[in-house]
Amino acid sequence: MMRRVVLAAALMAGALFAQPPNPTNGRKLFTRFGCYQCHQREAQGAAATGPRLGPHPIPFARFTRYVRQPTGQMPPYTIKVVKDAELADIYAFLESLPDPPAVKDIPLLNQ
Amino acid sequence: MDIAIAADAEATLPALTEAVKRLLTADRKRAFADRGAKLAAAHQKAVEAARVEATYGWDASPISTARLAMELWGQIKNKDWSLVSGGGGWPSRLWAFDKHHQHIGSSGGAGVGYGAPASLGAALANRKYGRLSVSIQNDGDLMYAPGVLWTAAHHKIPLLSVMHNNRAYHQEVMHIQRLANRHQRGIENAGIGTTLVDPNIDYATVARGMGVHAEGPILEAKNLGPAIGRALEVVSKGEPALVDVVTQPR
Ligand SMILES: Cc1ncc(C[n+]2csc(CCOP(=O)(O)OP(=O)(O)O)c2C)c(N)n1
Ligand SMILES: [Mg+2]
Repeated sequence: MMRRVVLAAALMAGALFAQPPNPTNGRKLFTRFGCYQCHQREAQGAAATGPRLGPHPIPFARFTRYVRQPTGQMPPYTIKVVKDAELADIYAFLESLPDPPAVKDIPLLNQ
Repeated sequence: MDIAIAADAEATLPALTEAVKRLLTADRKRAFADRGAKLAAAHQKAVEAARVEATYGWDASPISTARLAMELWGQIKNKDWSLVSGGGGWPSRLWAFDKHHQHIGSSGGAGVGYGAPASLGAALANRKYGRLSVSIQNDGDLMYAPGVLWTAAHHKIPLLSVMHNNRAYHQEVMHIQRLANRHQRGIENAGIGTTLVDPNIDYATVARGMGVHAEGPILEAKNLGPAIGRALEVVSKGEPALVDVVTQPR
Protein backbone atom coordinates (compact mmCIF):
# COMPACT_ATOMS: atom_id res chain seq x y z
CA MET A 1 0.00 0.00 0.00
CA MET A 2 2.66 2.44 1.16
CA ARG A 3 4.83 1.52 -1.79
CA ARG A 4 1.99 2.16 -4.21
CA VAL A 5 1.46 5.70 -2.81
CA VAL A 6 5.16 6.47 -3.17
CA LEU A 7 5.11 5.15 -6.72
CA ALA A 8 2.07 7.27 -7.58
CA ALA A 9 3.73 10.34 -6.11
CA ALA A 10 6.87 9.70 -8.11
CA LEU A 11 4.85 9.29 -11.30
CA MET A 12 3.00 12.52 -10.63
CA ALA A 13 6.22 14.41 -9.99
CA GLY A 14 7.59 12.97 -13.23
CA ALA A 15 4.48 14.04 -15.09
CA LEU A 16 4.73 17.57 -13.67
CA PHE A 17 8.37 17.80 -14.62
CA ALA A 18 7.59 16.64 -18.13
CA GLN A 19 5.25 19.58 -18.69
CA PRO A 20 6.69 22.31 -20.89
CA PRO A 21 8.07 25.28 -18.97
CA ASN A 22 5.44 27.87 -18.19
CA PRO A 23 6.44 31.54 -18.71
CA THR A 24 3.36 32.89 -16.91
CA ASN A 25 4.27 30.93 -13.82
CA GLY A 26 7.88 31.98 -14.41
CA ARG A 27 6.91 35.64 -14.15
CA LYS A 28 5.17 34.93 -10.83
CA LEU A 29 8.21 33.06 -9.52
CA PHE A 30 10.51 35.84 -10.69
CA THR A 31 8.65 38.06 -8.24
CA ARG A 32 8.13 35.49 -5.51
CA PHE A 33 11.77 34.45 -5.27
CA GLY A 34 12.88 38.07 -5.30
CA CYS A 35 14.74 38.04 -8.64
CA TYR A 36 12.99 41.33 -9.48
CA GLN A 37 14.60 43.02 -6.49
CA CYS A 38 17.91 43.47 -8.32
CA HIS A 39 17.00 42.61 -11.93
CA GLN A 40 13.68 44.55 -12.03
CA ARG A 41 10.20 43.35 -12.84
CA GLU A 42 10.73 43.07 -16.60
CA ALA A 43 14.22 41.63 -16.04
CA GLN A 44 15.56 44.83 -17.62
CA GLY A 45 18.33 45.05 -15.04
CA ALA A 46 19.81 48.09 -13.30
CA ALA A 47 23.32 49.47 -13.48
CA ALA A 48 23.90 49.38 -9.73
CA THR A 49 22.25 46.11 -8.76
CA GLY A 50 22.11 43.46 -11.47
CA PRO A 51 22.30 42.97 -15.24
CA ARG A 52 19.45 42.61 -17.69
CA LEU A 53 18.43 38.95 -18.01
CA GLY A 54 16.13 38.92 -21.01
CA PRO A 55 14.92 38.82 -23.69
CA HIS A 56 17.45 36.38 -25.22
CA PRO A 57 18.84 35.02 -21.94
CA ILE A 58 22.19 33.22 -21.69
CA PRO A 59 22.03 29.45 -22.39
CA PHE A 60 19.96 27.50 -19.87
CA ALA A 61 22.86 25.40 -18.52
CA ARG A 62 24.92 28.50 -17.74
CA PHE A 63 21.89 30.23 -16.30
CA THR A 64 21.20 27.36 -13.89
CA ARG A 65 24.82 27.04 -12.87
CA TYR A 66 25.04 30.72 -12.04
CA VAL A 67 21.80 30.80 -10.05
CA ARG A 68 22.98 27.82 -7.97
CA GLN A 69 26.53 29.06 -7.49
CA PRO A 70 26.87 32.74 -8.30
CA THR A 71 30.31 34.31 -8.20
CA GLY A 72 29.49 37.98 -7.68
CA GLN A 73 27.17 39.84 -5.32
CA MET A 74 24.17 37.71 -6.22
CA PRO A 75 22.89 35.48 -3.43
CA PRO A 76 22.91 31.75 -4.22
CA TYR A 77 19.57 30.03 -4.85
CA THR A 78 20.05 26.40 -3.89
CA ILE A 79 17.77 23.55 -4.86
CA LYS A 80 16.34 23.68 -1.36
CA VAL A 81 14.83 27.08 -2.20
CA VAL A 82 14.18 26.94 -5.96
CA LYS A 83 13.41 23.64 -7.74
CA ASP A 84 14.81 22.78 -11.18
CA ALA A 85 11.33 22.91 -12.71
CA GLU A 86 10.80 26.37 -11.22
CA LEU A 87 14.06 27.55 -12.72
CA ALA A 88 12.87 26.26 -16.08
CA ASP A 89 9.70 28.33 -15.75
CA ILE A 90 11.70 31.44 -14.85
CA TYR A 91 13.92 30.85 -17.87
CA ALA A 92 10.83 30.52 -20.07
CA PHE A 93 9.63 33.87 -18.75
CA LEU A 94 12.96 35.49 -19.67
CA GLU A 95 12.75 33.96 -23.16
CA SER A 96 9.20 35.21 -23.58
CA LEU A 97 10.03 38.87 -23.01
CA PRO A 98 9.49 41.08 -26.05
CA ASP A 99 12.28 43.03 -27.74
CA PRO A 100 12.08 46.69 -26.71
CA PRO A 101 11.35 49.56 -29.09
CA ALA A 102 14.39 51.01 -30.88
CA VAL A 103 16.07 54.14 -29.48
CA LYS A 104 15.21 56.02 -32.68
CA ASP A 105 11.50 55.38 -32.10
CA ILE A 106 11.51 56.95 -28.60
CA PRO A 107 11.60 60.76 -28.87
CA LEU A 108 12.46 61.18 -25.17
CA LEU A 109 15.70 59.26 -25.77
CA ASN A 110 16.67 61.55 -28.65
CA GLN A 111 16.50 64.92 -26.94
CA MET B 1 53.81 76.98 8.31
CA ASP B 2 50.04 76.51 8.01
CA ILE B 3 47.89 79.55 7.49
CA ALA B 4 44.15 79.12 7.94
CA ILE B 5 42.33 81.31 5.42
CA ALA B 6 38.56 81.39 5.33
CA ALA B 7 37.54 80.94 1.69
CA ASP B 8 34.61 80.16 -0.54
CA ALA B 9 35.02 77.51 -3.23
CA GLU B 10 32.50 79.11 -5.58
CA ALA B 11 34.27 82.47 -5.37
CA THR B 12 37.79 81.01 -5.59
CA LEU B 13 37.47 78.44 -8.35
CA PRO B 14 37.16 80.82 -11.37
CA ALA B 15 40.35 82.69 -10.35
CA LEU B 16 42.16 79.44 -9.64
CA THR B 17 41.17 78.03 -13.03
CA GLU B 18 42.53 81.11 -14.79
CA ALA B 19 45.78 80.93 -12.81
CA VAL B 20 46.27 77.28 -13.79
CA LYS B 21 45.57 78.07 -17.45
CA ARG B 22 48.23 80.83 -17.45
CA LEU B 23 50.87 78.39 -16.24
CA LEU B 24 50.14 75.77 -18.92
CA THR B 25 52.86 75.10 -21.49
CA ALA B 26 51.97 74.30 -25.11
CA ASP B 27 52.95 70.67 -24.45
CA ARG B 28 50.57 70.30 -21.58
CA LYS B 29 47.80 72.01 -23.51
CA ARG B 30 48.18 69.49 -26.30
CA ALA B 31 48.20 66.58 -23.83
CA PHE B 32 45.01 67.87 -22.21
CA ALA B 33 43.30 68.34 -25.56
CA ASP B 34 44.16 64.75 -26.53
CA ARG B 35 42.91 63.42 -23.24
CA GLY B 36 39.77 65.54 -23.57
CA ALA B 37 39.03 64.10 -27.00
CA LYS B 38 39.39 60.54 -25.66
CA LEU B 39 37.09 61.29 -22.75
CA ALA B 40 34.51 62.89 -25.04
CA ALA B 41 34.50 59.80 -27.27
CA ALA B 42 34.16 57.48 -24.26
CA HIS B 43 31.33 59.65 -22.95
CA GLN B 44 29.48 59.54 -26.26
CA LYS B 45 29.78 55.75 -26.29
CA ALA B 46 28.46 55.51 -22.72
CA VAL B 47 25.50 57.75 -23.58
CA GLU B 48 24.60 55.60 -26.56
CA ALA B 49 24.78 52.43 -24.45
CA ALA B 50 22.65 54.03 -21.73
CA ARG B 51 20.00 54.98 -24.31
CA VAL B 52 19.75 51.38 -25.47
CA GLU B 53 19.54 50.17 -21.87
CA ALA B 54 16.75 52.66 -21.20
CA THR B 55 14.56 51.08 -23.90
CA TYR B 56 14.18 47.88 -21.87
CA GLY B 57 11.09 48.24 -19.70
CA TRP B 58 10.35 51.64 -21.29
CA ASP B 59 6.57 51.14 -21.12
CA ALA B 60 6.58 48.98 -17.98
CA SER B 61 4.17 49.37 -15.10
CA PRO B 62 5.36 50.08 -12.41
CA ILE B 63 7.25 52.77 -14.30
CA SER B 64 10.95 52.30 -15.07
CA THR B 65 13.41 54.67 -13.45
CA ALA B 66 14.83 55.49 -16.89
CA ARG B 67 11.40 56.55 -18.11
CA LEU B 68 10.86 58.67 -15.01
CA ALA B 69 14.18 60.45 -15.48
CA MET B 70 13.62 61.12 -19.17
CA GLU B 71 10.00 62.30 -18.82
CA LEU B 72 11.28 64.79 -16.26
CA TRP B 73 14.30 65.81 -18.32
CA GLY B 74 12.12 66.46 -21.35
CA GLN B 75 10.22 69.13 -19.46
CA ILE B 76 13.05 70.88 -17.59
CA LYS B 77 16.00 70.82 -19.97
CA ASN B 78 15.25 74.21 -21.54
CA LYS B 79 14.77 75.93 -18.17
CA ASP B 80 17.28 77.06 -15.54
CA TRP B 81 17.02 73.81 -13.58
CA SER B 82 18.70 72.31 -10.54
CA LEU B 83 18.50 68.68 -9.40
CA VAL B 84 18.24 68.96 -5.63
CA SER B 85 18.34 65.23 -4.84
CA GLY B 86 20.24 62.13 -5.76
CA GLY B 87 19.05 60.81 -9.06
CA GLY B 88 19.33 57.04 -8.95
CA GLY B 89 21.84 56.99 -11.77
CA TRP B 90 19.86 57.89 -14.90
CA PRO B 91 20.17 61.69 -14.67
CA SER B 92 23.95 61.46 -14.43
CA ARG B 93 23.94 59.13 -17.44
CA LEU B 94 21.43 60.86 -19.69
CA TRP B 95 20.92 64.47 -18.60
CA ALA B 96 23.37 67.19 -19.61
CA PHE B 97 24.97 68.77 -16.55
CA ASP B 98 27.13 71.76 -17.39
CA LYS B 99 26.70 74.13 -14.46
CA HIS B 100 27.77 73.54 -10.89
CA HIS B 101 24.39 74.52 -9.46
CA GLN B 102 22.63 71.79 -11.42
CA HIS B 103 23.23 69.18 -8.73
CA ILE B 104 23.53 69.36 -4.96
CA GLY B 105 25.60 66.19 -4.69
CA SER B 106 25.05 63.47 -2.12
CA SER B 107 24.66 63.60 1.63
CA GLY B 108 28.04 62.05 2.33
CA GLY B 109 26.80 59.86 5.16
CA ALA B 110 24.04 58.17 3.10
CA GLY B 111 21.52 58.76 5.85
CA VAL B 112 17.97 57.98 4.82
CA GLY B 113 15.69 60.91 5.65
CA TYR B 114 18.22 63.44 4.36
CA GLY B 115 16.69 63.63 0.90
CA ALA B 116 13.42 65.46 1.50
CA PRO B 117 14.68 68.20 3.85
CA ALA B 118 17.89 68.66 1.84
CA SER B 119 15.93 69.16 -1.37
CA LEU B 120 13.76 71.77 0.31
CA GLY B 121 16.79 73.61 1.69
CA ALA B 122 18.38 73.68 -1.75
CA ALA B 123 15.09 74.82 -3.29
CA LEU B 124 14.98 77.67 -0.80
CA ALA B 125 18.52 78.65 -1.81
CA ASN B 126 17.57 78.45 -5.50
CA ARG B 127 14.41 80.52 -5.05
CA LYS B 128 16.12 83.90 -5.15
CA TYR B 129 17.58 83.08 -8.58
CA GLY B 130 14.18 82.10 -9.92
CA ARG B 131 15.70 78.71 -10.59
CA LEU B 132 13.60 75.57 -11.03
CA SER B 133 14.36 73.01 -8.32
CA VAL B 134 13.44 69.39 -9.02
CA SER B 135 13.95 66.38 -6.80
CA ILE B 136 13.58 62.68 -7.39
CA GLN B 137 12.16 61.75 -4.02
CA ASN B 138 12.39 58.23 -2.59
CA ASP B 139 9.35 56.91 -0.74
CA GLY B 140 11.19 55.52 2.28
CA ASP B 141 13.17 58.72 2.61
CA LEU B 142 9.99 60.79 2.74
CA MET B 143 8.69 58.62 5.59
CA TYR B 144 11.37 59.99 7.92
CA ALA B 145 10.25 63.61 7.92
CA PRO B 146 7.10 64.11 5.83
CA GLY B 147 6.52 67.40 7.67
CA VAL B 148 8.86 69.08 5.19
CA LEU B 149 5.90 69.08 2.81
CA TRP B 150 4.04 71.45 5.11
CA THR B 151 7.15 73.60 5.49
CA ALA B 152 7.36 73.85 1.70
CA ALA B 153 3.72 74.93 1.44
CA HIS B 154 3.92 77.29 4.40
CA HIS B 155 6.97 79.14 3.12
CA LYS B 156 5.93 78.92 -0.55
CA ILE B 157 9.12 77.26 -1.67
CA PRO B 158 8.95 76.25 -5.34
CA LEU B 159 10.07 72.61 -5.61
CA LEU B 160 8.92 69.85 -7.91
CA SER B 161 9.22 66.47 -6.19
CA VAL B 162 8.79 63.48 -8.48
CA MET B 163 8.63 60.35 -6.41
CA HIS B 164 10.64 57.23 -7.06
CA ASN B 165 8.12 55.23 -5.10
CA ASN B 166 9.12 51.59 -5.20
CA ARG B 167 6.92 50.91 -2.19
CA ALA B 168 9.86 49.77 -0.12
CA TYR B 169 12.97 50.57 1.79
CA HIS B 170 14.29 48.70 -1.15
CA GLN B 171 17.98 48.80 -0.37
CA GLU B 172 17.12 46.81 2.74
CA VAL B 173 14.95 44.31 0.87
CA MET B 174 17.91 43.38 -1.31
CA HIS B 175 20.28 43.20 1.60
CA ILE B 176 18.09 40.95 3.71
CA GLN B 177 17.30 38.72 0.75
CA ARG B 178 21.01 38.25 0.22
CA LEU B 179 21.59 37.18 3.78
CA ALA B 180 18.53 34.91 3.80
CA ASN B 181 19.79 33.12 0.69
CA ARG B 182 23.22 32.68 2.15
CA HIS B 183 21.58 30.71 4.95
CA GLN B 184 19.18 28.91 2.58
CA ARG B 185 16.24 30.44 4.35
CA GLY B 186 14.17 31.14 1.27
CA ILE B 187 12.35 34.34 0.68
CA GLU B 188 9.58 34.55 3.24
CA ASN B 189 11.22 37.01 5.63
CA ALA B 190 12.87 39.57 3.36
CA GLY B 191 9.80 41.79 3.27
CA ILE B 192 9.39 42.15 7.02
CA GLY B 193 9.98 45.75 8.02
CA THR B 194 11.44 46.55 4.62
CA THR B 195 8.45 46.94 2.29
CA LEU B 196 5.94 49.80 2.38
CA VAL B 197 2.79 47.96 1.30
CA ASP B 198 -0.41 46.78 2.92
CA PRO B 199 -1.54 49.50 2.93
CA ASN B 200 0.25 51.29 0.09
CA ILE B 201 1.06 54.86 1.08
CA ASP B 202 -0.90 57.45 -0.88
CA TYR B 203 1.73 60.20 -0.93
CA ALA B 204 -0.41 62.53 -3.04
CA THR B 205 -3.06 62.54 -0.32
CA VAL B 206 -0.39 63.04 2.34
CA ALA B 207 1.03 65.99 0.38
CA ARG B 208 -2.38 67.55 -0.25
CA GLY B 209 -3.10 67.26 3.45
CA MET B 210 0.00 69.38 4.04
CA GLY B 211 -1.14 71.98 1.51
CA VAL B 212 0.99 70.84 -1.43
CA HIS B 213 -0.39 70.36 -4.95
CA ALA B 214 -0.08 66.66 -5.70
CA GLU B 215 -1.02 63.95 -8.16
CA GLY B 216 -0.74 60.19 -8.10
CA PRO B 217 -0.19 57.39 -7.57
CA ILE B 218 0.82 57.14 -11.24
CA LEU B 219 1.34 53.60 -12.51
CA GLU B 220 1.07 54.04 -16.27
CA ALA B 221 4.02 55.62 -18.05
CA LYS B 222 1.79 57.46 -20.51
CA ASN B 223 0.19 59.44 -17.66
CA LEU B 224 3.48 60.64 -16.23
CA GLY B 225 4.45 63.41 -18.67
CA PRO B 226 1.11 65.27 -18.40
CA ALA B 227 1.18 65.07 -14.58
CA ILE B 228 4.71 66.51 -14.49
CA GLY B 229 3.52 69.29 -16.82
CA ARG B 230 0.66 70.24 -14.50
CA ALA B 231 2.93 70.15 -11.45
CA LEU B 232 5.47 72.38 -13.21
CA GLU B 233 2.77 75.00 -13.75
CA VAL B 234 2.17 75.12 -10.02
CA VAL B 235 5.91 75.36 -9.32
CA SER B 236 6.33 78.16 -11.86
CA LYS B 237 3.88 80.17 -9.74
CA GLY B 238 6.20 79.81 -6.76
CA GLU B 239 4.73 76.84 -4.93
CA PRO B 240 5.74 73.24 -4.25
CA ALA B 241 4.20 70.29 -6.08
CA LEU B 242 4.55 66.54 -5.83
CA VAL B 243 3.95 63.75 -8.34
CA ASP B 244 3.80 60.28 -6.82
CA VAL B 245 5.17 57.77 -9.33
CA VAL B 246 5.05 54.06 -8.59
CA THR B 247 8.31 52.73 -9.98
CA GLN B 248 10.46 49.72 -10.61
CA PRO B 249 12.78 49.01 -7.66
CA ARG B 250 15.85 50.53 -9.35
C1 LIG C 1 19.02 57.05 9.04
C2 LIG C 1 19.16 55.78 8.31
N1 LIG C 1 18.40 54.72 8.65
C3 LIG C 1 18.53 53.55 7.99
C4 LIG C 1 19.41 53.43 6.96
C5 LIG C 1 19.56 52.11 6.21
N2 LIG C 1 18.99 52.23 4.88
C6 LIG C 1 19.79 52.39 3.80
S1 LIG C 1 18.89 52.49 2.36
C7 LIG C 1 17.43 52.31 3.22
C8 LIG C 1 16.12 52.28 2.49
C9 LIG C 1 15.82 53.52 1.75
O1 LIG C 1 14.52 53.47 1.20
P1 LIG C 1 14.10 54.51 0.11
O2 LIG C 1 14.48 55.87 0.57
O3 LIG C 1 12.69 54.29 -0.26
O4 LIG C 1 15.07 54.16 -1.10
P2 LIG C 1 15.08 52.77 -1.95
O5 LIG C 1 16.20 51.95 -1.41
O6 LIG C 1 13.75 52.14 -1.83
O7 LIG C 1 15.35 53.22 -3.36
C10 LIG C 1 17.65 52.17 4.59
C11 LIG C 1 16.59 52.02 5.59
C12 LIG C 1 20.19 54.56 6.62
N3 LIG C 1 21.07 54.53 5.60
N4 LIG C 1 20.03 55.72 7.30
MG1 LIG D 1 11.92 53.14 -1.76
